[in-house]
Amino acid sequence: MKTRILGIVGLLAVIGASVFGLFVVPADLNQGDAQRIMYPHVASAWLGELSFGLTALAGIGYLWRRDLRLDAVAHAAAEVGVLFTAFAIWGGMMWGRPVWGVFWQWEDPRLATTALLLALGIGYLLLRRLTDDPARRATRAAVVGVIAALDIPIIHFSVIWWRGLHQGATFGDPAKILHPSAPGLFVIALMGMLSAFTIVWCYLMIRRYQLARLDWQMEEHGRLGRISAARRAASVPSPAAEEPAR
Amino acid sequence: MSDVGFVIAGYGVILGGAAIYAATLVRRLRAAREASLRIREQAEQAPPVDRTA
Repeated sequence: MKTRILGIVGLLAVIGASVFGLFVVPADLNQGDAQRIMYPHVASAWLGELSFGLTALAGIGYLWRRDLRLDAVAHAAAEVGVLFTAFAIWGGMMWGRPVWGVFWQWEDPRLATTALLLALGIGYLLLRRLTDDPARRATRAAVVGVIAALDIPIIHFSVIWWRGLHQGATFGDPAKILHPSAPGLFVIALMGMLSAFTIVWCYLMIRRYQLARLDWQMEEHGRLGRISAARRAASVPSPAAEEPAR
Repeated sequence: MSDVGFVIAGYGVILGGAAIYAATLVRRLRAAREASLRIREQAEQAPPVDRTA
């Protein structure tokens, strides 16, 4: 019930933030209305990276404690991370075409490293389908999750380390967080969208975690069921064994 | 409004995608809960295993 309320609050918050970003905040002087795509784009990018960071942390936790609940958290975060990273890339492409003149440029380090994170996330989810053994699956996934998370700092610093089309970090300088150079309404729109998306992210994470736990429990039931059936079959003598030899 | 197509496509895919994913997740969760309940009921009805054999 509480999760459902969270979902409703998230839905209302996203509607409110979208209306604010689309109709209340004025268009950017240079970028025009295309700048409005920045609000969901930046929020999606942050939450995508947060998700993969959580996948890595939960994976490390699993390797340490061998608790399958942590694997369920990692799995949930990876799936939600793939979704939000895909949203970030899509939003960036829709903004890039009118502002940069291109949808995509592989030479840009931030674009390429973000695409790599998406590919690693999809790879993580595919890897999980390779085995039915929960412990082996969780161990392999944890290793891949940690490797994928190594890309997050590279994405963040890519705009500092290399030259590309992408602008600098939105909040690269800590002083900018308290005194942003962007107009107040723009910052409110961005923060509003980030807050709304974070609520939705929490809702999706809880639901996906619940599903991962149920899937794991059903796998366990299925395994126990097969063991019971095998034992039952072994304990009941077959008709062929009872038949007297001719 | 300039670049309306890009703004609509940007917001539409992101918000629509999130909504579709959330709806799919709720449906998958409901199906998994029903299946889990069914398995539990079957397990309760199954005869006990003879461990002495």
